[in-house]
Amino acid sequence: MTPVAIRLAGLTKQFAHRVKGQVYAVRDVSIAIAPGELLTLLGPSGCGKTTTLRMIAGFEDPDAGTIAIGERDVTHLMANERNIGFVFQNYALFPHLSVYENVAYGLRVQKKPHGEIARAVGEVLGLVGLAGYERQQPHQLSGGEQQRVALARAIVFQPRVLLFDEPLSNLDAKLRVQMRDEIRQLQKRLGVTTVYVTHDQEEAMAISDRIAVMDRGEIVQVGTAESLYHSPANEFVAHFIGRTNLLSARVTAIRAGGVEVEFGGHAVRVPGDGAGLAIGQAVRLVVRPELIALRPPTDKGFRGAVLSRTFLGEKAEYRVGVGDQVFQITEYTRPHGTAFKVGDEVTLVFPTDGMHVLPE
Amino acid sequence: MRRLARDPLVAIAVLLLWLLLGIFILYPLACLLVRAFTDEGGLTLRPLLAVAGDPNNRRAFANSLLLALIVGAGGTVLAFLFAFTAVRARLPPRALAVLDGATWLPLISPPFTISVAILFSFGPRGFITYRLLGIGNFTAYGLTSTALAEIVTYFPIAYLTLRPVLAAIDPNIENAALSMGATRWRVFRTVTVPLAVPGLANAFLLLFAASLADFATPLILAGNSFPVLPTQAYLQITGLFDLKGGAVLSVLLLLPAAGVYLLQRSWVGRSSYVTVTGKAGPQTGAPALAPPARAVLIAACAVVGVAIVYFYALLLYASLVLAFGANHAWTLQHYRVIFTEGLPAIRDTLIIAGIGMPLGGLYGVLVGYLVSRKRFAGRQAMEIVSMINYALPGTIVGIAYLIAFNAPPLEITGTALIIIACYVFRYSPTGIRATVAQLQQIDRSIEEASQSLGARSGTTFRRVTLPLIMPAFFAGLGVVFIRSMTAISATIFLVSISWTLITVRILENMTELALGPAAAFSMFVIVIVFVVIAAIRMLLSRVRAPGGATVETMLGG
Repeated sequence: MTPVAIRLAGLTKQFAHRVKGQVYAVRDVSIAIAPGELLTLLGPSGCGKTTTLRMIAGFEDPDAGTIAIGERDVTHLMANERNIGFVFQNYALFPHLSVYENVAYGLRVQKKPHGEIARAVGEVLGLVGLAGYERQQPHQLSGGEQQRVALARAIVFQPRVLLFDEPLSNLDAKLRVQMRDEIRQLQKRLGVTTVYVTHDQEEAMAISDRIAVMDRGEIVQVGTAESLYHSPANEFVAHFIGRTNLLSARVTAIRAGGVEVEFGGHAVRVPGDGAGLAIGQAVRLVVRPELIALRPPTDKGFRGAVLSRTFLGEKAEYRVGVGDQVFQITEYTRPHGTAFKVGDEVTLVFPTDGMHVLPE
Repeated sequence: MRRLARDPLVAIAVLLLWLLLGIFILYPLACLLVRAFTDEGGLTLRPLLAVAGDPNNRRAFANSLLLALIVGAGGTVLAFLFAFTAVRARLPPRALAVLDGATWLPLISPPFTISVAILFSFGPRGFITYRLLGIGNFTAYGLTSTALAEIVTYFPIAYLTLRPVLAAIDPNIENAALSMGATRWRVFRTVTVPLAVPGLANAFLLLFAASLADFATPLILAGNSFPVLPTQAYLQITGLFDLKGGAVLSVLLLLPAAGVYLLQRSWVGRSSYVTVTGKAGPQTGAPALAPPARAVLIAACAVVGVAIVYFYALLLYASLVLAFGANHAWTLQHYRVIFTEGLPAIRDTLIIAGIGMPLGGLYGVLVGYLVSRKRFAGRQAMEIVSMINYALPGTIVGIAYLIAFNAPPLEITGTALIIIACYVFRYSPTGIRATVAQLQQIDRSIEEASQSLGARSGTTFRRVTLPLIMPAFFAGLGVVFIRSMTAISATIFLVSISWTLITVRILENMTELALGPAAAFSMFVIVIVFVVIAAIRMLLSRVRAPGGATVETMLGG
C-alpha cells in the first residue's frame, strides 16, 4: 500500500464551555502531512491537539473546514468508512475479548476468511513481540503489553493512516522510551502516514519527522525538532520546546549575515537577515541554558550568584541571579568536587552565536 | 441530525421506541387526564373539585401523606441501622449473609405477605395477641399495623440504596477526623452522617413514594377507619363502577408522587458527596466501632431480622395447616388447591412473566444505550418519558391503561398483551438505569475503537457494547420477571376472565377468608422468584463486567 497524504484545511471546532460560553477548541487549522511522514501535534492540555486528531479519525464533526486523506475528501465520512488505525490513550481494548479476538476484530468486520485472519494476526502479534499471547484476556496483561495489543489491533488491517492519542502517557518512564522507539521503527517499516498527539516535548522530538506546536486551538509553528528548538516562532514555542532564557534586548545594527543586538551593555550577533526588525527596536533574545557558560567571577561581564543547583547525572541545572534577573544554565558535569555551589559568585559568558531574536 | 441520517439503524430504533413510548406511556396518561378533566361541556375542574370536596376523600389524601411520612422516616432509620451494621460492624461473612437474607425476603414476596402474617399474629385469633397474650378482641387494622407492614415490606429498598453509599465513604476521611482528636461518636455525627445525607434523602423519598403507591397493604390492613387514596380509587372503580371518580382520585395521588419525583431528580441526583475525589480511596479499614455500640447495633438488627423470619415462618406454617387459628392439623390441601383450581392463574402468570421478561430486558438495554451513547433530538425527553410509568403509582398506571385500551383504536383490554405491556413499560426502567450506569463505566473509546476498525454502529452494538452490558440486560430482565410475579397495584385493573394473575388470586382468597391457599400461593411465588434470582445471579457471575449490575440492582425497587 503506498503512503497517502493527509490535508487539513481550515479545520474549526467550537465547544460550549460552562463558564466561557462558545469557545474554539480548534481554530482554522490547516496543514499538509506528507505521505509516510510522522507528524506530531504537540501542545499543553486543552490546546486542541486531541480534538484535531479525533476529527481526522471521524469521532468528531468539524464545524468548518475539510479533511482529505489521499485524494479523497473524507470530511463527511463516518469513522468506520475512513480506514484509519487509532491507538487510544487508555488503549480501549475490548475487555470481553481475548488478545487474538481484539486484534482480529477489524479483519472480522471486513469478513476476511479465517485462514487469512489467523495468518495476519499471528504475523502482527509477532511484529509487536506478543507471539504466544493469543489466548490472554486484556486484564491479564501489563500496561506495556496492552499497549502492544492496541498497536497490533490498529495496524493489522493495513490502514492508510495511523493516529496515536497520547499512547504512552500511562506507561512508566523507562517503558515510555522503549515503546516510543518501537512505534517509530514500526511506523518507518510500514511507511504509513501517521499523526501522533502528545504533550511531552521530549517524546515529540524523539519520534517525529515534523512537529506542529498548538496553542489555544491554533497551530503556531510547524517544523523539525531542531528548527523549532533553534528558531522558535514566538515565546510560547520557545518555552514549550526545551528550557529557555528570554532577555530584553535592543537592535543596534542590521547587516548582511546577522543582526547585532545589545543587552545589559553587551553587544552580540544573532544570525538572520533582520526581516521585520528595525534599528532601535526592542526585542527578546532567546538563549538556551546550555549556551551560557559559568566561569569564576571576573570584574567584567555579567556577575551573579548561584541560587540553586540541581544535579541530574550527566548535567547540572543552575539558577543564577544577576541583578533582579534569574538565568537558567545547564552545565555538563565536571570532575567531582569542582562544580559551583549555592552562594558562589560566578560570571556568565554568553556565546557569540546560536541565539535567536523574537520581536517584543 | 446529520449523524442520524448517516446511521439509519439508530434512526429506526429511535422512531420505533418513540412509537412504543407514545402508545404505552403518553397515550394512556393523556386519556386519564382527559377523562378526569372533561365532561360533556369540555374542559372542566368540576369533577376534581367534587372529589376534593368530599371530606372522605380529603381524609384519604391526608392519610396517604401521613402514612408515607411515617413509612419514609421509619424505614430510613431501619435501613440505616442495617446498612451501617453491614458496612461497619465487621460481621463474619455468615452473619452478613443472614442479614442480607432477612432483607431479601420482603423484596421477593408477593405484596400481601407481611400483611397476612400480621393478621395471623395480631388478628382476632392471632398467634401473638390471642394465643400468647390471650387478648380476644384486639384490632389489627389501622394506621399502626399498616405502617408497620409497609416499613417491613419496603425498608430493604432503602437498605440497598444506603449500603453502597456508606461503603463508598472513604475511611480515610473518618480517620482524618479521628487523628484530629474527635471521638468516634463525634466523627459519626459530624462526618459519617453528613456524608450519608444525600443517600438518606434518597432512601426517604424512595420509601415515601413506595408507601404512597402501595395498594395491597392498606387494602388488607387499613380497615374502614383509615382510608387511603389508592384503595379509595380501586373501590370507586370496582365497587361503584365509577371509572371517572377513580380517575380523578388517582390524579389526586399524582400530585405528591410528581412532587417526590421532581425532588429526587433535582436535588438528590445532584448532591452526591461520595465521588468528590473521583478515585476511590485505598481500601484501608474504617475506624472500628466501639464494642458497646457494635453490640447494640447487632442486637437491634437481630431483633428485626428475627421478626421478619418469624413472619415468613408463620406464613409457611399457615400454608401447611388446615385452618390457621382454628385447626392446626398438618395438611397439603392448600397446595393441592393452588395446583388445581389455582392452576390457570399460575399458568397465566408464568406465561406473562416469561414473555415480558426478554422483551423488558431488551427494551431496557436499548433505551439505556440510545439515551447514554447516541446523540439525537429528544434524547433527554426519551429518558424522562421512559421513566414515567415507573415513577407513577401503579394505581394511576392501571386506571390509565383501563381507560385508554378499553375502546378503539387500541382495544386490548382483557388480553395478555395489556398486562405484558404494563409490566414491560413499568418495570424496565430498572434495566434502563442499570444499562446507563454500566455504560458510564465503559469508556466511550472502546466503541470508537470498534468504529475505527471499520464496524458500523449496528456491528459495534452487537459485538462490543451488548456483551459488555449483559449484566444490565439480565438485571433488567430479572426485575420484569420478579415484578410480573409479585405486582398487583396496576394490573388488578387489567386482569380478565381469560387472563388472571397469582397476586389477584391471593387477594380473592383473602377476601373469601381462604387464608390457607393465600399463604400457599405466597410461598409458591417466593420459591419461584428465589429460584429465578439464583439462576440470574449465576449468570451474572459468569458475565461479570466492570461496574456491572448485581442482583441488588434487580431488587432495589
